[in-house]
Amino acid sequence: MDNHLTPEEERDALAAELALGLLEGQARADAMRLSLSDPGFAALVAAWEVKLSPLHGEWEAAAPPDAVWDAIASRLPERRQPSVTSMETRLRRWQAGALASGAIAAALAFALFFLPAPVPGPAAPQLAVARIESDAGGPLVLARYDQSNGLMQLRIEGIAPGSLAPELWIIPDGGAPVSLGQIGRAERAEMTMPPPHRLLITEGATLAITMEPVSKTPHQAPSGSPVAAGKIITI
Amino acid sequence: MSALNDVANGETDALRTVYAMTSAKLFGICLRICGERASAEDVLQTVYIKVWERAGRFDAELASPITWLATIARNSAIDWRRSDAGRVARDTLPEQAALAVADDGPRADQLLMAAESADQLRRCLGTLEERTRSCIRSAFFDGATYAELAERENIPLGTMKSWIRRGLLRLKDCLGDG
Repeated sequence: MDNHLTPEEERDALAAELALGLLEGQARADAMRLSLSDPGFAALVAAWEVKLSPLHGEWEAAAPPDAVWDAIASRLPERRQPSVTSMETRLRRWQAGALASGAIAAALAFALFFLPAPVPGPAAPQLAVARIESDAGGPLVLARYDQSNGLMQLRIEGIAPGSLAPELWIIPDGGAPVSLGQIGRAERAEMTMPPPHRLLITEGATLAITMEPVSKTPHQAPSGSPVAAGKIITI
Repeated sequence: MSALNDVANGETDALRTVYAMTSAKLFGICLRICGERASAEDVLQTVYIKVWERAGRFDAELASPITWLATIARNSAIDWRRSDAGRVARDTLPEQAALAVADDGPRADQLLMAAESADQLRRCLGTLEERTRSCIRSAFFDGATYAELAERENIPLGTMKSWIRRGLLRLKDCLGDG
């Protein structure tokens, strides 16, 4: 169409046309097919999207009606069905109360007032907190995890005396419990998470405490029901 | 916005957060390109379903989250505009004049973008002929096709293609590779 362009320029111009959306009908269909079948061409298209992206700063915002979110929510899958272990079933009963009872506010207050402020860092959630509690007068453990250095800090109350030791578990939403180790009965405890475990500390995962035989190494699986549990929220 | 990571992990609450933070921006994009509310609302729905499905492919090294989201929204709105349904709907719309081309001035929310690359793009667009620049901007913001631009400028289609292709390649030279 344009005699003065080299084949390479033609190809790049076509990528720009597709990125910008100038084409229609057969020409558009052909260019889209090329982009699907030719990763080199797809990369050119993506590069054009990036080149033009500063223009995205100029759109006029407009609030959509609430019905749009409702329609989106109705198309999402139900909360992923966990592979239900007996432990999780028990946990969910406990959580119902914990979540309804201002647990989030309490955990936030803990994070903000009882412990030193986090070091300023990148905008990603730096902090994860959880209020790990039981339904009636049992243990209460407040957890604060700092993503930037992998440090988990705990404030521990109400662990019953006895020969068994409290062990902390993380349970990814829909996953199996993973031991983070035993935490002792002292009022405060700290542990540095090994990198593989850091990935598990996400919004909505559950922290739980079970009472286990004393061990220097984390157990593979809990031997009994949790004495306390709570969901992680990130800040 | 590491909320996108949580979306990738299948957390619907995280999608709600992303929606709360970005839906006004993305609806603005859909509304501008679709030209009418009902379709823009439908497109916005599909945008967040795509975000839900594709969040795992978001690569922070390639684009900022807002750029990634805005690109999905713009491409979805253009897909709709090029579809049969989009053509029929648009044929019944009042003249394009209602959606005049944005002026060249930067807006406050330009601050969302890396200021440096925004400045460079503005400077490089500024080196193009005024008509070419205005057509490229109209393609971006209104989703206009070659045919629509040629009709608007009252020039042959081939001439319009040639203007824009040369303009885009000049733009690329000015921006430098990368």
